[in-house]
Amino acid sequence: MAEDLQRDNEQLLEFLYACPVGLVEFDATGTIMMINPHAMKHLLPVAGMRDPGNLFAMLEGCAPELRNLFVDYPKDRGPICEGHRIAVDMATGRNGKDPKVLACTLVKLGPNRAMATFADITVQVAQERRLKQSETWFGSLINAVNDYAVLSITANGTIDGANAAFTRQSGRAVEDVTGMPLDRILDVATGFGAMTLEDQLRLAQRDGWYLDESWQTRSTGERYWCQRLFAVRPAHDEQQPHGYFVVLRDVARDRSDTSDLRRMLLFDHLTGAANRTHFLQLFEREQRRWREDRQPLSLILLDVDHFKSVNDAHGHPTGDVVLKQLAQICSATLRPSDLFARLGGEEFAALLPDTPLNQAIAMADRLRAAVEAMVVATAAGPLRITASFGCATATEACGTVDGLIGLADVQLYAAKHAGRNRVYGRASHAASA
Amino acid sequence: MSTAFEEIDLHALASMPLEQVDSLPFGVVGLDAASMVVVYNEAEARMAGLDRDSVIGVPFFDAVAQCMNNFMVAQRFEDEVELDEIVPYVLTLRMRPTRARLRLLASPGAPLNYILIER
Repeated sequence: MAEDLQRDNEQLLEFLYACPVGLVEFDATGTIMMINPHAMKHLLPVAGMRDPGNLFAMLEGCAPELRNLFVDYPKDRGPICEGHRIAVDMATGRNGKDPKVLACTLVKLGPNRAMATFADITVQVAQERRLKQSETWFGSLINAVNDYAVLSITANGTIDGANAAFTRQSGRAVEDVTGMPLDRILDVATGFGAMTLEDQLRLAQRDGWYLDESWQTRSTGERYWCQRLFAVRPAHDEQQPHGYFVVLRDVARDRSDTSDLRRMLLFDHLTGAANRTHFLQLFEREQRRWREDRQPLSLILLDVDHFKSVNDAHGHPTGDVVLKQLAQICSATLRPSDLFARLGGEEFAALLPDTPLNQAIAMADRLRAAVEAMVVATAAGPLRITASFGCATATEACGTVDGLIGLADVQLYAAKHAGRNRVYGRASHAASA
Repeated sequence: MSTAFEEIDLHALASMPLEQVDSLPFGVVGLDAASMVVVYNEAEARMAGLDRDSVIGVPFFDAVAQCMNNFMVAQRFEDEVELDEIVPYVLTLRMRPTRARLRLLASPGAPLNYILIER
């Protein structure tokens, strides 16, 4: 009997050692009670110097939202999240591979007990992205052309033709728009990451097509969500030199549903800043733009000083309030075209398109002063914090997403080392405190 | 010749009788070029709670020690022909996070790569 049990025990262990999915059992503080090797394989490399016996601590760097999701879950038992995506790598992964993505499912088993699973979905995510691109493209071609407004434009963006559906969609007569520049008819998207018509045409020229979507306005003043595809119009003869076809589609959007979903997918649960995944996507887009037109692109990394002692002295809920308030203040200080994101734990980033290094440093110093002036109300009285900043700008020698983050990180480290509550930038090394 | 965790030499380990490898107080795992388990000593079997016979001949990083199947350990053996380094690590012995030190050993002349495990 004892031998049978012994054998059963060994087989169970073998089963768990070989299980190709990560399994973790943990308590409300994140302390790990059980963990299988597959989970450790993924978690230890992201843990850095943080406590490997605590799940939330190990994931603080790349998925700080998990602790918030857990704490905010109102019931004693039930599913907290399913297939929640964790972007492990910034931009491209190690050795130029696709960036690593983990899917995490959390289930609460009792007030003080929960289980997590982790699976590596890097390959699926990369496939999805490629599939989505080709699906959109072919979907547009296959569907009935009647549903689509089609414009024809010259290489420099002047409209030289339109179909009847265009008039139905936009309310503008074909003869009224012929000869006009396309960006007089279409709103060029505003806000962060917006590309000019010229940029969009350049991408279409490079890839053969370019797809985007944004709000447009009909001649009646009514707004509608419009998907548009630019496809290169090959030059057949001298009569019709090369240009582009522009396919416009009027898409119904259930705004309440999609905006909730969008918020969950793109923004950090706690602070409302862009999340890591969203940040990386927009960063890559801005970086491509920089590579093509060399408008300056700068990055600010921000790390709260002595944040661990805030958590230790006042508890995580106060730490969370600090992060929320900081995110609000920074977002309000930045310009609408800048992107503010939470990269992990108490680390944030601001991406500044069309901004040279000296302006980025000036902005970082405004942020630094705003954070220093911030007062957080706690049970123990008002609490003040500071943050350190590292700035970098894309250059010929260092223009990749990874490279730029690395540069800013070195500056951030230097700012910390020099005594915190200060701004360091690559070119100047000038500190201001 | 020292048989201490930090000092024992890869070639000494390779020529050591199996009974003596079993008597070492730290875990010893010997892997062939395909990362199949060839040597799995008594201390390691006891700590992992596994029967040695079920471990010999299986792919180590896939079936026994997935926790080391990342760039911190398994990738090192793929990337480096000469290796002697001690890395602090966290294992999942019997599904409990367990702090350990690993010593990774590889040399072009040696038939096996070794991982020494000290808890």
